[in-house]
Amino acid sequence: MLTTVDTSRPPTRRRGALKLHNTLQGWSFILPNFIGFGILTLVPVIMLFYYSLTEWNAFGKATFVGLENFSRLLGDSSFWTALYNTGYYSVFHIPLTLAAALGLALLLNTGIKGRGFFRTAAFFPYITSIVAIAVVWNQIFSPEYGPINQALRFFGIADLPGWTASAQWSMPAVIIVGVWREMGYYMLLLLAGLQTIPAQLYEAAKVDGASAWQRFRNVTIPGLRPTLFFVTVMLTIGSLKVFDLILVMTNGGPGNSTLVLSQFIYRKGFEENQFGYASSSAVVLFFICLSITLLQYFWNRRQEK
Amino acid sequence: MNRRLIAASAALASLALLVTGCGADTEAPTDTETTAGGTTAAETTPAGDTGSTEPKGELTLAGWSLNTTPEFQTLADGFNATNPEYTVTVSEYQAGNDYDTQMITDLAAGTAPDLYIMKNLVNFYTYAAGEQLVDVSDVAGTLDNESVSAYELDGATYAIPYRQDAWFLYYNIDLFEQAGVEVPDGSWTWDDYAAAATELSEKLEGDTKGAYTHSWQSVIQGFANAQSEGADVLSGEYDHLKPYYERALQMQADGAMEAYGTVTTNSLSYQSQFGTQKAAMLPMGSWYIATLVAQQASGEAEDFAWGIAPAPQFDESTAGTDNTPVTFGDPTGIGINPAIEDEKLDTAKAFLSYVASEEGAKALAGIGITPSVMSPEVTDLFFQLDGIAEDELSRWTFENRTVMPENSVSQHTAEINTLLGELHSAVLSDSEGIDAAIENAENRAKNEILNR
Repeated sequence: MLTTVDTSRPPTRRRGALKLHNTLQGWSFILPNFIGFGILTLVPVIMLFYYSLTEWNAFGKATFVGLENFSRLLGDSSFWTALYNTGYYSVFHIPLTLAAALGLALLLNTGIKGRGFFRTAAFFPYITSIVAIAVVWNQIFSPEYGPINQALRFFGIADLPGWTASAQWSMPAVIIVGVWREMGYYMLLLLAGLQTIPAQLYEAAKVDGASAWQRFRNVTIPGLRPTLFFVTVMLTIGSLKVFDLILVMTNGGPGNSTLVLSQFIYRKGFEENQFGYASSSAVVLFFICLSITLLQYFWNRRQEK
Repeated sequence: MNRRLIAASAALASLALLVTGCGADTEAPTDTETTAGGTTAAETTPAGDTGSTEPKGELTLAGWSLNTTPEFQTLADGFNATNPEYTVTVSEYQAGNDYDTQMITDLAAGTAPDLYIMKNLVNFYTYAAGEQLVDVSDVAGTLDNESVSAYELDGATYAIPYRQDAWFLYYNIDLFEQAGVEVPDGSWTWDDYAAAATELSEKLEGDTKGAYTHSWQSVIQGFANAQSEGADVLSGEYDHLKPYYERALQMQADGAMEAYGTVTTNSLSYQSQFGTQKAAMLPMGSWYIATLVAQQASGEAEDFAWGIAPAPQFDESTAGTDNTPVTFGDPTGIGINPAIEDEKLDTAKAFLSYVASEEGAKALAGIGITPSVMSPEVTDLFFQLDGIAEDELSRWTFENRTVMPENSVSQHTAEINTLLGELHSAVLSDSEGIDAAIENAENRAKNEILNR
């Protein structure tokens, strides 16, 4: 137990020693986890920064090339396409998922019948195998035989979208699946947040004559702020490094219409064996994630004041 | 808001979620863009432990999907039967694209086997230039085997091919008869092929198509690169792709084959399209022969008469049985890990000589693998497989072909492949016109890849 302090020790012991003792004890508890994190995450991440300045094909020694990889990134149109596509995905995926998750959470926080079932149902996509999701959704999106286009055809729409089989529609298709897949997970987080808001606040607001919108605006949102902040940050990072969904749904295509940064990194590293160059694009992605998260953090702090 | 309405819409939405979300886990699709290393389902040859002298130790050979890909064990058994100093044993690696990832990791870590497979030429450069292969020019010098030259880099040979797949045209004789269309006679150009496919689609009942073009870039670019005069993907000039793509687009528009978007969104497999008679023709690599035979035997594929014809040609100059038709395919080779113990090196080289010899070729032909050495005996053995096509043209096709390597050996190969893969999906999905796509690819090749 962490807080047990041996009281039989002579009181002459200095406080500093006790503090050190407690600290070491605390560290020893997190050590098993930290060793794993250190070896499998921290060290590779630090090495990544070094490799981003080298040219390395996995064999032998990495040759130091300075900032060459970064200047090459500047002139690489695939990289810019990937960056643009990542932005495109995030700009739609983040607000849409947030809205859908919040809507679902508000709905399932009311006393509707069978809400346990619906909560589970909404969470289902998140725990379904991503490969199964890709196969099923791709069939749904199939331009000729898929149910979506058949329904649209039924309503007399002539110029049907090609979904994952056209460069123009592939990104919207992937975004739809991304939102569908992740909203259940964020709904769960938001539900937990909603339940921490005391019911008395709603009652008091009601007594004061606040409308449903006013209650949402002035009770729910402020009460949910810490959760919303957490959800937004996680969602942003998740969107910026989206990978598996795209890889199995479109593999970046058609053309490079859904090529995102993570896949660009994967391609350069594991398909083309340019680990130095792949590392440098990973570093760029890291700094994009870091700066956006910091921005959100400071914005949130200002809001809280 | 009306609570009942909310509940009802939530119920509807959740039902939809449930219906689409409950799909059973399926295996990851192995969407390999490479063409070598297909699996065969022929029976595994039993290990032949007939050694009279005790071997001194083991030589390890990498392989994948060992229970469905018996070729590695067949080679090991055939070689071990000659009582070498060291016994060759097979160790299993990941199948598909993961093979190279795992092998590169093991080589870098120093835990790779003594002998390992080059699945195709794309990664050969990485291994050879990364000094992960022993120079085996001395073995290559003793061999009479055309495919060996594919593994040359800066004048030295770094791997020895044991199999040499080639692309042919598979056709369903029953469907041709049903439609009343004449079967291929070995003299087809691509225009003949397109015309036959269109005619078949029109005359066959239901949704049956004249041809099936799989989503791989090889199916179109492989032929274009091999058959067009002076074509070289490393030159950064891609005009030669144009006629091939125009023809494919026309075939899609005419309904002569499933559209690219249908193939990708429905994850169609060429085995089921041809095997269950949804398409009458299929351009595909020779690895599919053994697969088709096995699938017809197991009932996975329907029972119908089929044959192989030479791949359609660019023009008449190479078409016909009085010529040697041009097709493509990467060899599959074996190289030696430089970390091998010195005393094992001679046995390893002897093994390489064996896999590229006629003796090794016969062992491979017996299980339906297209070996790197051809001879009438090899063809005889190959066509003894139960359920294989028996007509003269199929035999002729198997024996007579000029096989161009699908990939060239260069530091840029992998990147150019990615670039042309993007062109392929953009053009066939009708997202980009062929002229714009070629110009775009040429610019990117010159300004971002070949200039380094």
